[in-house]
Amino acid sequence: MVSKITRFLGSIKLSVPVLSAIAIILIWATFYESQVGSLTVQQQIYKSPWFGALMFLLAVNLGVSTLSRYPWRGPRKVGFALTHLGLIVLIAGSAAVIHLGLEGLLVVRTDQPANHLVRVDGELLEVMDDQGQVQQATVVVKPNQVISPQKFAGLSLLDYREQTIETLEYHEGGSQPNPAIRLVLSSDRMGKTIDQWLSFDSQTSQTIALGPAQLQLRQAEDQATLQQLLANPDQAHGGQSGQLHIDLADTHSTLSIDSLRRRDAVLENNIHIHLTDVWPDFRLDDHNQPMTASPEWRNPAVQLDITQEDNQERWFVFAQAGLEPIQSVLAGTSALELKMRYQVPPPAATDYFRVIVADRQLYYAARSTDQFSSGPLEQGQTVRPGWADFQITLTDWLSHAQIDRQRISPEGEQGVPALLVATAEGHQHWIPWGESTVITQNAGPVIAAFGPRMLALPFGVGLEDFIVERNEGSEAVAMWTSQIRLADLQTAETQQRSVWMNHPTWYQGWKIAQASWNPGDLNQSTLQVKREPIWVTALTWSGALLTVGGIGVMFYGPSLWKKQVALSSLRVEVPEHPQDSTDDAVPVALVAQD
Amino acid sequence: MNKLKFLWGLCLACVLILVPLHQWQASPQTALETLAVQLEGRKKPLDTVARETVAAVHGSARYRPMAGDLLDAQQTYWSLLLNSRDWNDEPFVLVNYRPLKARLGLPLEQKHFSFASLVNTDLGAILETAHQKELQNQDLTREDREALTLEDRLNIMLTTVGSQTLPIIPHPSDIKGTWVGIAEAHQLYPPALAERVRTQFDTLQAQYQAHGDDLSRLTAAATDLHQTLASLSPEIYPSPATLQREVFFNRFRPFAKAWQLYAIAFLILLGGQLISAIDLYWSVMGMFMGGILVQAFGFGLRMQIGGRPPVTNMYESVIWVGFGIALLAFCLELQTKARSYLLAAAPLTVLCLLLADSLPAVFDASIDPLVPVLRDNFWLSVHVPTITLSYASFALAMGLGHLTLIQYWLTPGGNARAKTLARLNYRVIQAGILLLTTGIILGGIWAHFSWGRFWGWDPKETWALIALLCYLAPVHGRLGGGLGNFGMSVASVLSFNAVLMAWYGVNFVLGTGLHSYGFSTGGSTQILGCWVGVDVLFVLVTMLRYRAGRRSESVLTTDVQLSEPVLTVDAQLVDTP
Repeated sequence: MVSKITRFLGSIKLSVPVLSAIAIILIWATFYESQVGSLTVQQQIYKSPWFGALMFLLAVNLGVSTLSRYPWRGPRKVGFALTHLGLIVLIAGSAAVIHLGLEGLLVVRTDQPANHLVRVDGELLEVMDDQGQVQQATVVVKPNQVISPQKFAGLSLLDYREQTIETLEYHEGGSQPNPAIRLVLSSDRMGKTIDQWLSFDSQTSQTIALGPAQLQLRQAEDQATLQQLLANPDQAHGGQSGQLHIDLADTHSTLSIDSLRRRDAVLENNIHIHLTDVWPDFRLDDHNQPMTASPEWRNPAVQLDITQEDNQERWFVFAQAGLEPIQSVLAGTSALELKMRYQVPPPAATDYFRVIVADRQLYYAARSTDQFSSGPLEQGQTVRPGWADFQITLTDWLSHAQIDRQRISPEGEQGVPALLVATAEGHQHWIPWGESTVITQNAGPVIAAFGPRMLALPFGVGLEDFIVERNEGSEAVAMWTSQIRLADLQTAETQQRSVWMNHPTWYQGWKIAQASWNPGDLNQSTLQVKREPIWVTALTWSGALLTVGGIGVMFYGPSLWKKQVALSSLRVEVPEHPQDSTDDAVPVALVAQD
Repeated sequence: MNKLKFLWGLCLACVLILVPLHQWQASPQTALETLAVQLEGRKKPLDTVARETVAAVHGSARYRPMAGDLLDAQQTYWSLLLNSRDWNDEPFVLVNYRPLKARLGLPLEQKHFSFASLVNTDLGAILETAHQKELQNQDLTREDREALTLEDRLNIMLTTVGSQTLPIIPHPSDIKGTWVGIAEAHQLYPPALAERVRTQFDTLQAQYQAHGDDLSRLTAAATDLHQTLASLSPEIYPSPATLQREVFFNRFRPFAKAWQLYAIAFLILLGGQLISAIDLYWSVMGMFMGGILVQAFGFGLRMQIGGRPPVTNMYESVIWVGFGIALLAFCLELQTKARSYLLAAAPLTVLCLLLADSLPAVFDASIDPLVPVLRDNFWLSVHVPTITLSYASFALAMGLGHLTLIQYWLTPGGNARAKTLARLNYRVIQAGILLLTTGIILGGIWAHFSWGRFWGWDPKETWALIALLCYLAPVHGRLGGGLGNFGMSVASVLSFNAVLMAWYGVNFVLGTGLHSYGFSTGGSTQILGCWVGVDVLFVLVTMLRYRAGRRSESVLTTDVQLSEPVLTVDAQLVDTP
């Protein structure tokens, strides 16, 4: 019985169906992949236990068939054995590559310190209790919304949604004064009705953009502010070129660009500021010279010459947030201890409907391209702001608004992923991706955070420079190279390396390779960081070598062997050894054994 | 005697390669054709730019305008560049994807449309969605990709017609510096020099306006301009030899010459099958050799021009597979003298080269710089040729499979010729298996360096493996005794569809995965699908005939054995010289 099973396991009668089955599954998988994407197919098929079992069955078939044909005499049988053993090693190695490798993406920037946190596939749920104890779990969401683990740190993981948005519900009943209003906009001509709440809870709920127009809710503390907010902006407009905010030791000064254009400014410590150039829409031209792309104040930048005694510096200051000023020393030595910020007023919305809360009374100011109106606003009142045939009605006004937040996943809308958890008492909470949420329960409050799974490297990687080479005369990239600094976190030892496409570098057993880049931000580079046990690499490579060599020997060994034997028999005039001829006929023997 | 016949065939091939003789002489338009242009990341002669532009927009190398004679690529390009026709209304832009035409409300049977008629359609809206999807990294549909290709064509029209910015003014000092157009010459050179170039170009333009499409009349003006441009920056400007080499390559069309030679060889072979009185076998071998030589010469030139192995896109791989089939068949024929390999190989090689030669919109023949992942590495030059050679082996096996099946069609019980062919076929499959296994493994090693893993089930990897399995299963079936000569022939024909899928289908049908630098649009998947369908039908009918033949045979001889005796086949295999 056992020998029967063994014979079957090693037989061609098993290999042909197994090979065919694998081929059919793979064909299906690639078509399935073009519909659902690589990640799903990797999880559902290639990394699944049943596919692994099928590959294991193939390996068993290969192994038993090879061993059962021992001893391997003659080139064909030797080749056969080499190939099949090589394939087993190769299958084992490839499986190990897929299952045992650690792999992630590391984002590094030239303007930031070394990074040692690698983004790994999958999401992490972290729960911190009131004692400060943190528990972590990797959350895997399978395509059919099955979440693993199902329970973690006293919470049940109920649901996961890729796209969720937060909705707010307003009702009266708060303990603090908190005005909130509800406006309904309707247009018969466009057949459109828009229902919108505005409140002071956040920046985004105070100003709502509706195409070219805005709905605004503003608070007026005093009469002067109220008048200003109610005034037609055409009269209050000006100063679009913005202001410079300068911090010098502990004094702060504000200079308007318009006044700097007229005359230089002199600050404390005899610091002399001279405005040399202004670019309302800053760009670099083909020759890397600053220029303005348009007269619009979209991306303003200024150039200043700052002098203090013998020191002279040139500063480029940008209005765009996140762009630090660029300073260069023109004369002298010491760098000036200055902090400078350039602020430009946001371009005024041409059309707006503004509701102003002033001392328990509401006012409105409505502006369109050719019309302006203002006045007191009552609940139920309708105003025509002059935006096509739109009319705006104040339907609700709450003075002590209370807000209920809910998370929903509407069809076809962009949002953030979120995880739904339930406490032991059955209260449900959504935890949005990348944020932490306080969850109250009988056992005490916990803070739960749901975000990317990161892996800490034993060393930090800093980006010294990111070099993009382009094909001559074109924007197409020829090569991008990251010059990185590797810093051992234990010994503080550092090394400089370069990585580029097809040329990774190895450090402490980790392979660091160029993965991708951000064409819009050349200060950033994304590296692939990977660790694969050395024996895994050894397995795949030796399996590969055995297989290729084996096939060569199996197919071409016999005829070469025969020629060799024929030559030597001619030379020594010895008749051909009978053993050799049987070796050559191995397939006959193989067939006979089956 | 055989050697003489061989030489005779080779000489005939050489004569066919050498004529017409004027292709070896410099044409009167040389000065115009060899104006260097820096475009798409390399410096190339204007001749190449003209051919590439016309092929990219029009889908073929010639254009018949609404009024006037047929124009070649050069004439068409100059007419575009100097805006000598109403290019708004000339039906010049190729649109060949029917669903897109239907969506745009264009007549389905028409292939070429005017710029104006395309701009006045809903194309803008389709492009907007396509760009949106690109921005959000969503998968593009076939229609999206075709619309983007059409957008490229329209953009080429926009940038070419009446262009003053064609970068023909060399950078003064930097070998990789950006060249500029006539209108921007003053950015790089003193006003006097810039003015000189401008005047010479104006003279050229005036000459063109005076003489119309007769470009040979521009020689004097073009020579002056060319000399001035070269003298602006002699260190940077490509040498005349480099520019002329590429112009020669364009005009000589070695791959077209090769398929013509293979086709003639095939026709003679076919004739020899029907009329056995004259033995032209060795002469055909000579002629075939001529085809291989001219193709190899073409590869050599292309490698010199591109500075890299010619195996980086669909066009090059199709040419390379054609070459592989021819070379493999020739070598095996030389070794076995079986008189069958060439018969199987020639139509396939002709098909490959003909397709590559006549469908410039599908198989882009332009020599472009490599994308970063293909650049600067040894593995590209070993992995891709090995894989494509394995495809060539399997293609040859497919050809031999067809020949065998035809034999079985003629004699359903099988005959001696069928047995010989099956034996030859098996050898080719063996070579293919070895090459494909090696190629897959080399790819794995490259992937280990480039993507960090040996194997990751990328669709291209997976399909290469599927193709291998599709050959391994029948080979094992044969060893197990379940599959005879007929079965192997059927398998070699059917399994080739897996190769087609790995080679072409992953790029054109699936369009996913990491091997995206091979992706493209415009592949006529339906035509290929029909072809495959007809082929499968042929196999099925042959199978039915074979079954019926065997049944009647077994009734006669009461032979119960279903498959052919494998032992004899193996004995034959071992005995082959």
